[in-house]
Amino acid sequence: MRNLIKTSLMLLGLLFAAATMAAPPPKTLNDSGDPTLALTPGLRGADKAPPGSPPGNPDPHDLNGVWWMSGYQYLLGPEPGVAPPLKPEYLAILERRIRAKNRGTPEADASTQCMPHGMPRIMESPYPIEIVQTPERLTFLHEVAHNLRRIWLNRDHPKNVPHTFLGDSVGHWEGDTLVVDTIGLNDRTFIDDEGSSHSTQEHVIERYRKIDNGATLELIMTVEDPVTLEHPYSYRRVFRWRPDVRPQEYVCEENNRNAPVNGITVAK
Amino acid sequence: MKRLRLLLSAAALGAVSLNALADPPDLSGVWSITTHVGALKTVDGHAPPLTPEAMKVFEAHRAAAAKGDYSYDGTTECLPPGLPRLMLMREPFEILQKPKVIYFVHQLNRLPRRAYVDEALPTDVDPHYLGYSVAKWDGDALVIDSNGFEDGTVLDNAGLPHSDALHVTERYELSKDGKHLHLKLTIDDPKTFTQAWSAQADYVKKPGYELPEDVCAATPPDKRPRS
Repeated sequence: MRNLIKTSLMLLGLLFAAATMAAPPPKTLNDSGDPTLALTPGLRGADKAPPGSPPGNPDPHDLNGVWWMSGYQYLLGPEPGVAPPLKPEYLAILERRIRAKNRGTPEADASTQCMPHGMPRIMESPYPIEIVQTPERLTFLHEVAHNLRRIWLNRDHPKNVPHTFLGDSVGHWEGDTLVVDTIGLNDRTFIDDEGSSHSTQEHVIERYRKIDNGATLELIMTVEDPVTLEHPYSYRRVFRWRPDVRPQEYVCEENNRNAPVNGITVAK
Repeated sequence: MKRLRLLLSAAALGAVSLNALADPPDLSGVWSITTHVGALKTVDGHAPPLTPEAMKVFEAHRAAAAKGDYSYDGTTECLPPGLPRLMLMREPFEILQKPKVIYFVHQLNRLPRRAYVDEALPTDVDPHYLGYSVAKWDGDALVIDSNGFEDGTVLDNAGLPHSDALHVTERYELSKDGKHLHLKLTIDDPKTFTQAWSAQADYVKKPGYELPEDVCAATPPDKRPRS
């Protein structure tokens, strides 16, 4: 009997060790070590196109095609696991939202209600993005919740920009880099999935450049917000050229089981 | 005389091959329906040839709508309206034309459609609200064939039903001046109609119009426009 208990305990210990080895403790916000501030682990994201797929188009000024993000973070700071440089009152709001998520009662944001994801968050998507390039414009057709962005190459921001979920975007080429400037964002969305705040004064600058002979699209994202951020910050992402992928119909509105109730996301 | 005829046939042959090589017309741009279509009618102005069973469904939709009950209509919950209804909406749409894909991007809830050029319709496809579409050029006309539809949508703004056997053919022709687009629709759904039938719609170009960000879910249900 005693041996049986001993063996069971040993086995339990081994199982526990195996479990902890398989899943290291989740990262916490800004390495605080506070388990109530555990961050949702990132996703691996898309691989390169499978062998036999058409090669990428090396023309640096032609971004047409389906692109799929490699790597995906729920928190969009300057480094994985690091918060955006939020002012103290907005860092406190982020902490409140992460704690609510870890209690299983996340605060409802716009995307929970099938509204667009906002910026920069919509560019951090585990779903493919199709770029349709025409002489005066780039159109981004996002699979996720049929988000849609238009990047105008033939005009500047209008004088009185209306505030919308994805803002007003204008672009120009600097050599082989497409520079996209976005303002006119409403404040109903979060910077990221964890819940970093932005204001209607948010200003987002994206720099896109083809690398790997067109197999990869690099994005340097810069976020400015004089209301919620101490200072602007940037991060880098890459998208894979995926000619084998056809974006699918995505109907968030069909099966919205995570509807918000009094500002809390409730699974029904 | 014989020589002249030979010359003429050579010229005709040349014209045909030139036509085949010529680029298709460019349908790119923002388009808006000229006359709102509530209830679809056939091109001869008749009611669509519903089977007796489908007629009961249609009458139930009409009776519900008369009482203000639109629960049969998924667009009240921001679901895509299906085809051809999406093409009959008041909201404009834009066409982005590429050699291999024709994109329709609708103002209505920012819905996209893709028609893949010179491909065959799949025979076994998961149902989609907007179906699966392939396109081909028939001379100067763009012909889009679609199947693979969810059967929960309705065909028009009056609540005309359809089944999962729906096959929609759209034939788009640009006017000579490039300012108008004519659509001839053919609806083939043997589970709903006694025979295939056609209807039509017309669109006018809206140069310089930028489609605004339309978010159905951000609009309270009682404020959503009813088509």
